[in-house]
Amino acid sequence: MIERPVSFTQAKPEPRRRPSFHLGSRMNEKTGFMLALITPAALVLVLFQVVPILTGANASFRDWTLHDPKRTWVGLANYTHVLRDAEFLAIVLPNTFGFMIATVALSLFFGLTIALMLNKRFPGRWLVQSFVLLPLMVAPVIAAIMIRWMFNDQFGVVNAVLEGLGIAPISWLTQRWTTFLVILLTDVWLWTPWFALILLAGLQSLPPEPFEAARIDAASAWRTFRYITLPMLRPVMVVCIVIRSIDAFRTFDIVWTISGGGPARATEVFSLYAYVEAFQFLNLARGSAAAVIGAIIIVIFALLLYRILNRFVEVSR
Amino acid sequence: MPDVRSFIRLCVATAIGLAVSTGPFSAQAQERELKVGYMKNPIQDASLDIMEKWAKTHGVKLTRVPMAYSVFMEKVTATLTSGTDQFDVIWHNDDWGQLWKKWLETTDDVKGIENADQWPLLAFWNDDKKLTVVPMAHTVGTFFYRADLVRPEEVPTTFAQLVSVSQRLQKEGKVKWGYVGGMSMNNTWFSLWWTMWANNCDILKPLFERNNDKLVAAKFEPAVTEPCHREIVEFWWDAINTHKISPPGMTAYGRNEANAIFMAGEAAFTLVDSTHFGEFNDPKRSKIVGKIGMAPFPVGSRALKPTSWNEIWGWAIPKGAPAERKQLAKEMLSAMMSDEAGQIEMWKKTGGPPPNVKLWPKLAAEDKDFAALKHAVFDQTPITHSAYYFAEWPAVHKAYSDMAIAALSGKREDIPKVLAEHADKIHRAATGN
Repeated sequence: MIERPVSFTQAKPEPRRRPSFHLGSRMNEKTGFMLALITPAALVLVLFQVVPILTGANASFRDWTLHDPKRTWVGLANYTHVLRDAEFLAIVLPNTFGFMIATVALSLFFGLTIALMLNKRFPGRWLVQSFVLLPLMVAPVIAAIMIRWMFNDQFGVVNAVLEGLGIAPISWLTQRWTTFLVILLTDVWLWTPWFALILLAGLQSLPPEPFEAARIDAASAWRTFRYITLPMLRPVMVVCIVIRSIDAFRTFDIVWTISGGGPARATEVFSLYAYVEAFQFLNLARGSAAAVIGAIIIVIFALLLYRILNRFVEVSR
Repeated sequence: MPDVRSFIRLCVATAIGLAVSTGPFSAQAQERELKVGYMKNPIQDASLDIMEKWAKTHGVKLTRVPMAYSVFMEKVTATLTSGTDQFDVIWHNDDWGQLWKKWLETTDDVKGIENADQWPLLAFWNDDKKLTVVPMAHTVGTFFYRADLVRPEEVPTTFAQLVSVSQRLQKEGKVKWGYVGGMSMNNTWFSLWWTMWANNCDILKPLFERNNDKLVAAKFEPAVTEPCHREIVEFWWDAINTHKISPPGMTAYGRNEANAIFMAGEAAFTLVDSTHFGEFNDPKRSKIVGKIGMAPFPVGSRALKPTSWNEIWGWAIPKGAPAERKQLAKEMLSAMMSDEAGQIEMWKKTGGPPPNVKLWPKLAAEDKDFAALKHAVFDQTPITHSAYYFAEWPAVHKAYSDMAIAALSGKREDIPKVLAEHADKIHRAATGN
């Protein structure tokens, strides 16, 4: 029997399937279940992050004081005020960037040093490791209060030690640079363990072969570090620097607690400026405008920083 | 997957069920409940204790909602302007008296309010000339001295004597410092401002004016370049750097640091709210228990007689609270104002002077500490109020504080220049520019 070829034209159209109805409904159920799971977190995010940000951004274009919110549209007036404020431009922004660069550089340096030490085997390493991580467990406000009293000119342990060494006591919090130094030391103390922890994880994940080759070639410890460890660790360092820079830009708690931005605004940083405008002077609109300006600055800065650092990583490869 | 559907349905049903079932109960519970938003402080707790007595006998549940000072004003302002009924009674203070005036219920009809001192109520009148506060306790700046080191007749009455007596005590090795007081932002009263008023001076012109219309008419002109003002900044510069009667770090001190030095027995004099008297006499915290005297403020060369400041902390009722709870709150505050024994107990426990001034002579007769406070503060006539009562006042205070600290942190000869440079900043802060 010769089979008749089946032409397409003759082919009887298949009854239309109810395409993947079963599968679709299953997908929908799955999707629904997943949505149900993420809805609480999404709601929290929307209510406590997105809505306040939008409300703040909206307020920044209006006449909106906390005690008498008229909410009339004023356009860019609040932005103009902030950007024309000599203190914002000459004190607040330089302080913020100076603090950010100094704290990230010092924390990175000390964090890397500690990570390199902890990467070697020695008796009691776990104990040292736990001890080094202690500052991470202290709330920044608590640390700042402790530090403020440690540097108190009458009761502070720092001056007691200085006096013991025959050095005249110092009024740490009455001058700009000594106050700035105290704030910086506090932040570095708090954040060095974070750098150490992440860099240590990075070091421990590096492949052993290049180091073995360097040892065979009798490379010195410094050259091994300079030409092998550091280039291989750069991607981790880039991530640390970017994350920590963004965080340092918005530092509030330790500066507020240690100096309140003083003496006479000498250590005021961006977040204090926005806070004081919004919550001490009750001008929510101006505070929001300052916050939006700060957000724009940090986004641009972070993108630039990431691009520059990424280029270093590419070059090192 | 049907299980998943059932699970979601169950969750939704449970949530609805809970909302429906708890709604009536919570509403029922709120009927006889009063929620009080306040700052955690011994005086405020003592005042609440007085109200608690009334609440218990009247079947009212008094719920205390304590907040930190640093967020109190901001949080409660936001609550008031949003019109929610989060609180039925709130702590009120002259610093923000005018900011809240249109969000608060009037209190003229609270029984016992006629026994309150009228002077400190200035900040609390609304635009219809109605009162928006019920006093809780007086907050008065008090000059404290070490009674074990200084006899009453030796207590300094002038700035010059404050320096000479301090130096004598320092020379004799009795104290490390003569005077110590808070100076950083929000502590300006305890050094710069009391001396400013005691030198017959003020922040804005016309001096001692607190009528906002008159201040507007004078275009909020700062008085900080006036000689009377320059003199007090120079006084503190000298106290720290030349006479060395005050610690070099004092420009950064808040009241906690200053009080710590005084309580450690290392300073002979301080000036702070009278409400710290209890703390100074707390044996767990202080080395100078029972050794503290109170005296009128020493005066500068331009003053004719001692001055003082005399303000109040109070309670207020938000307009947003339901009518029946507002009425209940007024009844409770009336009971507090009428509870003489409770107010005396508050003074004894905390050093908070009673809001009922008719009690003062009686209390002074039986309590030597109150008699001393009355002589030091209440018997002196204040030349003005210890704050201004317009919306931009916090910004003016900050601009003033920055100016004073900058002047005190620099060279003495630069003081006039620094004051002149900052006068415009104070003016801009006052006018909102």
